[in-house]
Amino acid sequence: MSATPDIAAQLLFPPNVQYNNARLYTVKFLSACFAGAVAGVLGLENTLGFALFILSTLLTSACIYVKCKGRPGKYVPGGWWELVNPGQDNMFSFVLVWTLFYGIVHVYD
Amino acid sequence: MASSAASLYLDPQIRDWVLFPITLVMILVGVLRHYVVLLLQSPPKKLSRAAIREQRALMRAQILRTTSANSPVPPSVYRSISQHLSQAFVDGTYLKDGPPKGDAPSAPPNPLTDPSQMDGMMAGMKTQMVMMVPQMVIMGWINFFFQGFVLIKLPFPLTLGFKSMLQRGVETPDMDVRWVSSLSWYFLNFFGLNGLYRLILGNENSADSSRDMTTPFAAAAAAPQAPQAQDFNKSFKAERDNLEFAEGLYEWVGKDVETRILKKYGRLS
Repeated sequence: MSATPDIAAQLLFPPNVQYNNARLYTVKFLSACFAGAVAGVLGLENTLGFALFILSTLLTSACIYVKCKGRPGKYVPGGWWELVNPGQDNMFSFVLVWTLFYGIVHVYD
Repeated sequence: MASSAASLYLDPQIRDWVLFPITLVMILVGVLRHYVVLLLQSPPKKLSRAAIREQRALMRAQILRTTSANSPVPPSVYRSISQHLSQAFVDGTYLKDGPPKGDAPSAPPNPLTDPSQMDGMMAGMKTQMVMMVPQMVIMGWINFFFQGFVLIKLPFPLTLGFKSMLQRGVETPDMDVRWVSSLSWYFLNFFGLNGLYRLILGNENSADSSRDMTTPFAAAAAAPQAPQAQDFNKSFKAERDNLEFAEGLYEWVGKDVETRILKKYGRLS
């Protein structure tokens, strides 16, 4: 039925959805920051660092998926991609924190 | 050829006096920007009761329409609201200036001369100014004080094209691009602190630099939000057609609900 995504979205209560989205963003941001700190402290370079970022994104989304009891459509509009997608802001935050910790630990004596 | 594997030794004082201060200043300036924009915002202009009624009538029709295919209201309620609104739109009872008199063409007021539109545009431009000025000031400050030395090593490689931008004050032709000057630290902070602002200032903060990218679109989009220029007569007519269309699609969620429940619990063969 072509109207299914609308119907699914209609069943969500907008203030609750907004609250959920805000919480989701917070979780993603904090996980990006911690991943950056870990990557920096461990001294991961190039691809290893980005691999850690992807790994942490997957881990975070797996945790959120479990928290959604396997039905993300009930809590957030849009399916599992909404959970996994870290967002452009968090990518830059990861790079920032990664560079910061890498510099503090490995570049400065 | 200088060995690119050798690492430079940097004085820890650079870290204390450059790295942390730049980040701290950018965070504080972001927070300051947010509050300045908040203080500069003039309260939204109050519309007259008739004008509000006009807008709300349109919204009521839209709300009714969006859920019509899976509607939570029973048929009698839906039909009565729909017909009342259609009739009102045709008669023009909700129009701000009363029903249209004769065939006087109602031209929407000119955007430049209508004072309410000007307020919207001024507010958008003020916000943009407040966003731009601190960025320029900080860039100038960094270029003046923190120029000419290498600040930090990036953990990831970049192409040589970035060398001129990221190693601005340091004139070494064959140093690794990963050793960068303070301006690049500014850029990293510029992009990376948005998430932090969202965390401490809440979702609608004005310190977000990703919003700056969209301000040209936002300024253009802010203008339709003051719909004084909108010709409500025409939109009412269009809405009436939409209402009829939606009535054709109407389907109550509670239709035959007794039969469905009985079937679900197996009480009906």
